Amino acid sequence: MASATAEWLAPSTRTELIEKLVSGVDRYNPSNVGILEDYLYHQTRSGEYDCLANLAILKLYQFNPDLYNPDVVVNILLKALTAEPFPDFNLCISLLDDRLPNANTDEPDPLPTLLPVLTNLYDLLHRCRFPAFWTFYKSEELESLRENYTVECTGFEDTIREVAACSVKATFTRIGLDRLGSYVDLAGPELEAWTTRQGWTIDGQVVSIPPNPDNQIESVIIRENVKLPQLSKVIAHSVQAK
Amino acid sequence: MSAQQRVPLWAAEPDLDDEINDVDIPLTIPSYPAADIYDDPANLPLDESAMQAQIAQQTAFSQIPDVVKRFIVHFHQAVLDNNLPEITLAYESGWNRLTEKFYAKTEWPEAEIIAPLVNDDQIFLVLYRELYYRHVYSRLQPNIDDRFHSYENSCELFNYLLNSEGPVPLSLPAQWLWDIIDEFIYQFQSFALFRSRPATKTDDELTMLASEGGAQAWSSYSVLNVLYSLIQKSHVNEWLKARAEGKTDEEIEHIAGEYGTRPLYRQLGYFSLIGLLRVHVLLGDFTLALKIMEQVGLGLGVGQKAPFTAPTAAHVSTAYHAGVCYLMLRRVTDAARVFTGCLNWVMRARQYHMRSYQYDQINKTADRMYALLALCNTLAPTRLDDNVMNIVRERYGDQLTRMGRGEEGLSTFEEIFLYACPKFITANGPPYNDRTTLALLLNPPTPSSPSSPSAQNNTTSDPTHRHMRALTAHFLSLTPVPVLRSLLKLYTSLDSRKLAGFLDAGVDEEEVLSWMMVMKNAGRSIGRVNIATGADKDEEKGTNGSSSSNGGGSVLDGEWMSISDLNFVIDENMIHIAESTVGRRYAGWFIRNSEYAARVLDGLRASPLPGLLVPTKAQNKEGEVKGDRNIKGDGAPRSSGQKVAWGGIKTS
Repeated sequence: MASATAEWLAPSTRTELIEKLVSGVDRYNPSNVGILEDYLYHQTRSGEYDCLANLAILKLYQFNPDLYNPDVVVNILLKALTAEPFPDFNLCISLLDDRLPNANTDEPDPLPTLLPVLTNLYDLLHRCRFPAFWTFYKSEELESLRENYTVECTGFEDTIREVAACSVKATFTRIGLDRLGSYVDLAGPELEAWTTRQGWTIDGQVVSIPPNPDNQIESVIIRENVKLPQLSKVIAHSVQAK
Repeated sequence: MSAQQRVPLWAAEPDLDDEINDVDIPLTIPSYPAADIYDDPANLPLDESAMQAQIAQQTAFSQIPDVVKRFIVHFHQAVLDNNLPEITLAYESGWNRLTEKFYAKTEWPEAEIIAPLVNDDQIFLVLYRELYYRHVYSRLQPNIDDRFHSYENSCELFNYLLNSEGPVPLSLPAQWLWDIIDEFIYQFQSFALFRSRPATKTDDELTMLASEGGAQAWSSYSVLNVLYSLIQKSHVNEWLKARAEGKTDEEIEHIAGEYGTRPLYRQLGYFSLIGLLRVHVLLGDFTLALKIMEQVGLGLGVGQKAPFTAPTAAHVSTAYHAGVCYLMLRRVTDAARVFTGCLNWVMRARQYHMRSYQYDQINKTADRMYALLALCNTLAPTRLDDNVMNIVRERYGDQLTRMGRGEEGLSTFEEIFLYACPKFITANGPPYNDRTTLALLLNPPTPSSPSSPSAQNNTTSDPTHRHMRALTAHFLSLTPVPVLRSLLKLYTSLDSRKLAGFLDAGVDEEEVLSWMMVMKNAGRSIGRVNIATGADKDEEKGTNGSSSSNGGGSVLDGEWMSISDLNFVIDENMIHIAESTVGRRYAGWFIRNSEYAARVLDGLRASPLPGLLVPTKAQNKEGEVKGDRNIKGDGAPRSSGQKVAWGGIKTS
């Protein structure tokens, strides 16, 4: 069985070339940044996601400030947002060394203004304040983010809905339709279609979520289990002691 | 040279306050190969300054205490002979003793001055400088020249090791090799921190840092290059993998190759992996850091054997940095397990490393791990080893209570993190070669200028605070959990509207539900499973196929697991609660004590009969309790009077 982290460590969509870059020392070679950046844009278009490859881009930026491309960074962070409950967003932030105030370029760096916004969005997601997330995300203030970035990122909103779904299905066995709608910013037929796609059933105004390991609870008493190897010394000695 | 055959006096006798004129080493006036240059009067006027330097050098040489000279000569001979026991003695004992005695507050003699003592042996001088600069860094305040020169010396050393023709014929104790790698990274870190504060630099320092050499010295690329080269040259990853796969000795030797079969390179390679873990942590790349440890594993507390006796400091460093990684990856249970495993081990092994000169360093790191455990316990309270947790509670009892109270615990949380975290660094320093940008950095433009105020904020935040913010955000998201927990514990089912009513005014049902989801998410975490069989798992992975071995390093692998004893689920508005309890654990205690009793029994059996000393009274007394069982078999009256525990084993 594949472990919970297998897809995160090595997505099945990762090509051999990327795997080589991610796992080898070639990841430090600045001339490979183009390949990884192309791969990122491929991710945004196709809805795939490869955290480790994106971290490799940020690593190259960290060591070679000249390579820095703010658009790429924003895209990586947007992708990382959708990875919650994995801590990808923070892992990316950790690699963003401080930028120098740069007066030379004509285009202002969008990151300093966008970073607090993205952090805010992430925080809302992390705190499961999904209705607040959508309100903020759809606000006028974030228009430029939506028009310049998330619009390019295929299925961005859907992946955010998946983040919400992940928390919902762990916490609820049944949830009101309207409430669920506010979590995923959908209503009416769209909401119904989305709910059905999740495999959940709608019964009037209530959505039933099928049992999964997290939404089934029982009181258990954990007893200790002694394994034979633990006793090996004692047994061995009792044989010798004869 | 007669002196070279001497016993290591510096190690044996502390009272060697020889007068300088007692020196009998025939080396006081070194015979320089180029000394005849001064015989030619034509050269004299030109080289006056050189001659003065020569005289100064000779004066400096004559001021070196005799015992130190003898030490250096002996040390050199031990290195020439590849005599590991002697090198170890000189390295761990002699050097430190003489440091205490003569160089507690000053530098050791410079390498150029002692060069005549060692026949100008360049390799030894490089090693000597390694020690010389390490002493400067640890005891004194390194100035900028020291920093640059220690870098040059490290380069020279690694250049010799890596770029000689074939493996170099040098043997050094594992302890020293570890220290070389460890110190290399420490100095890199120290330089990065030094470089990151342009405001406090003198003009000279600014000029040096702005020079091309200044930009090159201690660059991240060069440090990584050294570590990766050592790893690749020694084939250490391949070697570890082959061992895990259970290959035969010949196969393993073949895989390790020309370099990897030599202890020097193998150990350097192995320590470089641990060093790389540390470098990546310092640079904030927590995933990559753990990925490096794929083949090494985290050893401690897993029952996995290190491939050779690595110094305690290496174990402690591994556990500390890996634990920090797990914490930053929000795999709190894994972090706690790594820390606990190591701390337990340090506690038990205390008697062995207490006299080690690294005792202080080990203790400091251990203290940090206790502090980080307090944070782990706040973020995800789980059952941990009692011995270790008792110490945590002893030291951080108040802080744990404060952090348990939600938002008001934030400052405590930050305080502990700042104390216990590594000193994070940035990969690149400020632009010393660009005076205008540097000035901009030192005197940030006023908010009215085109550069926005947020840019200014950016420059004032150092990496440590950046990492801390990530973790404190998580801490803050969890602040409602303790209150919810204590309320939910009282019920088996509860309406969420009612729950909202119990809480502070202004909290509506929707908010409570979001808290409940946070709590649910906090109740599970990615963690390594089957940690006890970690070694087996590695083996399995190895045999499964080498092609997919990059896929999931066992260190980063994990499964979702429930870490909370209080579980709940919401049915529309009704919260159902279930609490799990953990039964007391007895087995470990009994097993430990049975084993202890067995050891006592063996010890008693091995000791000679004490003759007629055993009073018959005691024997009778025991006999009443245990019947005749404990006299059975060996029929040793000597043991029956002392302990009855072993009799218990036999009956069970």
